[in-house]
Amino acid sequence: MFLRMLRGALFRQKGKMLMIAITIALGASLATAMLNVMLDVGDKVNRELKAYGANINVLPKGASLLGDLYGVQDGTGVSDRYLNEDELPLIKTIFWAFNIVDFAPYFETDARLTDVAGAADSGGDGPSSRGDEIALIGTWFDHHLDLPTGESLDTGIRNMKSWWDVSGEWASDDDADGAMVGAQVAERLGVSIGDTITVEEDGRAKSLTVRGVFDAGGNEDDRIYVPLAVAQELAGKPGAVSSVEVSALTTPDNELSRKAAQDPNSLSIKEWETWYCTAYVSAICYQIEEVVSDSVAKPIRQVAESEGAILEKTQFLMLLITILSLVGSALGISNLVTVSVMERSREIGLLKAVGAHNSSVMGLVLTEVLITAAAGGAVGYFAGLGFAQVIGHSVFGSGIDIRPVVIPLVAILVFIVTLAGSVPSIRMLLSLRPAEVLHGR
Amino acid sequence: MNILELNDITKDYGSVKALKNVDMTLSNGEWLAIMGPSGSGKTTMMNIVGCMDKPTSGTVMLDGTNISEVSAKNLTNIRRDKIGLIFQQFHLIGYLTALENIMVAQYYHSMPDEGEALKALERVGLRERAKHLPSQLSGGEQQRVCIARALINYPMLILADEPTGNLDETNEQIVMDIFRQLHRDGSSIIVVTHDPEIAEEAERTVVLEHGKVTRNTKNAVAGSRGGDEKNV
Ligand SMILES: Nc1ncnc2c1ncn2[C@@H]1O[C@H](COP(=O)(O)OP(=O)(O)OP(=O)(O)O)[C@@H](O)[C@H]1O
Ligand SMILES: [Mg+2]
Repeated sequence: MFLRMLRGALFRQKGKMLMIAITIALGASLATAMLNVMLDVGDKVNRELKAYGANINVLPKGASLLGDLYGVQDGTGVSDRYLNEDELPLIKTIFWAFNIVDFAPYFETDARLTDVAGAADSGGDGPSSRGDEIALIGTWFDHHLDLPTGESLDTGIRNMKSWWDVSGEWASDDDADGAMVGAQVAERLGVSIGDTITVEEDGRAKSLTVRGVFDAGGNEDDRIYVPLAVAQELAGKPGAVSSVEVSALTTPDNELSRKAAQDPNSLSIKEWETWYCTAYVSAICYQIEEVVSDSVAKPIRQVAESEGAILEKTQFLMLLITILSLVGSALGISNLVTVSVMERSREIGLLKAVGAHNSSVMGLVLTEVLITAAAGGAVGYFAGLGFAQVIGHSVFGSGIDIRPVVIPLVAILVFIVTLAGSVPSIRMLLSLRPAEVLHGR
Repeated sequence: MNILELNDITKDYGSVKALKNVDMTLSNGEWLAIMGPSGSGKTTMMNIVGCMDKPTSGTVMLDGTNISEVSAKNLTNIRRDKIGLIFQQFHLIGYLTALENIMVAQYYHSMPDEGEALKALERVGLRERAKHLPSQLSGGEQQRVCIARALINYPMLILADEPTGNLDETNEQIVMDIFRQLHRDGSSIIVVTHDPEIAEEAERTVVLEHGKVTRNTKNAVAGSRGGDEKNV
């Protein structure tokens, strides 16, 4: 009979129930969208921020000292100290390995330009720049690494320098003759894609084919990028690395991390453990120094700090919107259910008159509302997935991953919001006396 | 034997005295009519007898229980078990069929029984309308469903507050026929009415004025024992 009453109430007063369902659906869809975006926004914002490059720079001990002393940014040609290429995969094995998104080594050397040959006008000489010194950087473009842990990773500047405007194609690590030429170099030498550049260092000559020309908008544009091994060979320094850029996800700094950044030894054991086990940029730097011998890892401050802060602010905003939308639908429901209970006060009075106790009337009304809410919530969930994709595409230019964890979250929220919204009407229902409604005119 | 005894009942709504020192009894199987001008306290009295309200002072004995001292929850139980309520506005649930409206009363009383409910509809001549919603029934038909609902749990006392107030002559007669039948079957009935003709059908008429019983007379037609008129 309970079911028959429910069925009657639900199907024969579709209009009212539909309104409640729509209100819930709206709230649920917003909550779904916001929660999905919120859970995914970490990745999204990080990916956005990563576009601004690395946030940790690793240098050999001596070089970094010189750099600090003389304000030389990248110790090109300044230092004869190097990091060991073989130790680089260890960066991906530190405690916070998971937060290391990408990294790329650089080996910097100055070579002498001996010949420039255009592919089209074969033999035609470029501008009179032969004999000039030119900065040659060996790096990983998209290097495949098999880690000691058994995992593997593809990393390099192709991932890290996503803002580079590349015409032609990215050079490849396996292509020993390929090079990427900065826009300024290309202009100065008059080379374009497919042309050949010959460089020489200490009697070792190397012909390079221009695979791509990039515009980075910085002093990289005045350099030529080649596979790491090519540069090392040309300089006669196999396995040597001048610096490593690391892109890591970090936790915003606080007092503890600032104290640690000054001197990790000043921390108490407990503080030290907390610091070490938190993804502060200083902790990650410290851990990199632990695995790469004779290295100094330094945060490139601004990016590292803003990354976490922006993320937190964005997520806070999302949370706020979610809460507001839920409060909104709770108010909506509370109005609708209250009106519906008021309209049905005679019916409820009648039920009480024929012997229904408060608890059973409450059970009936709540079940009705909850079933309606469940239907509305389900519709809202799927609408919300759509919203999330719209937000993803319009704000981040990519879809939002659907998190299954949102389903129980939204279900619980809908449940709570519906109950909360029903409180005023339930109170009304409890105080409703049949004598007063049944004999009214 | 009296199934109902009102002793010195007073009901105040704030400063309004709806009932003043009312005494009244109803014996088992008796059919009583209550008359009186509007606002004289008829509905107030029915609410108290029907366990929907409590008197400000005085005692109400219903089937040997003093219901003026019973908790709200137990009042609901007593109402459910002993009282059948018939309303001027019928109060059927709009989204349930005639049959389901009757079964609701069974559900809160004990167990819904479709066969019983259909029999009750048959008694009021509406068996073939069982699957209709109240909006598809005429006023008279709705009142008959309301009566069927009031009877479904075999109440010891039937309370009808202006049951024919919203009905035309024809439907009024149909409803009165049902009451006559119920009376013949031995039910105790209290009917509130403005219509002297309907009041005359009862065995006794109580008249309320300004919350006081001003007349309590046996009716000539039904009462073979003669009228023992007593003015209060
Ligand atoms: N809930 C209430 N609050 C305040 N006053 C009330 C309430 N219910 C009834 N009254 C007052 O009590 C008095 C008796 O009302 P009651 O409804 O019993 O009259 P009635 O005899 O049934 O009238 P009618 O013939 O119009 O139905 C009236 O003056 C009415 O205004
Ligand atoms: Mg009345």
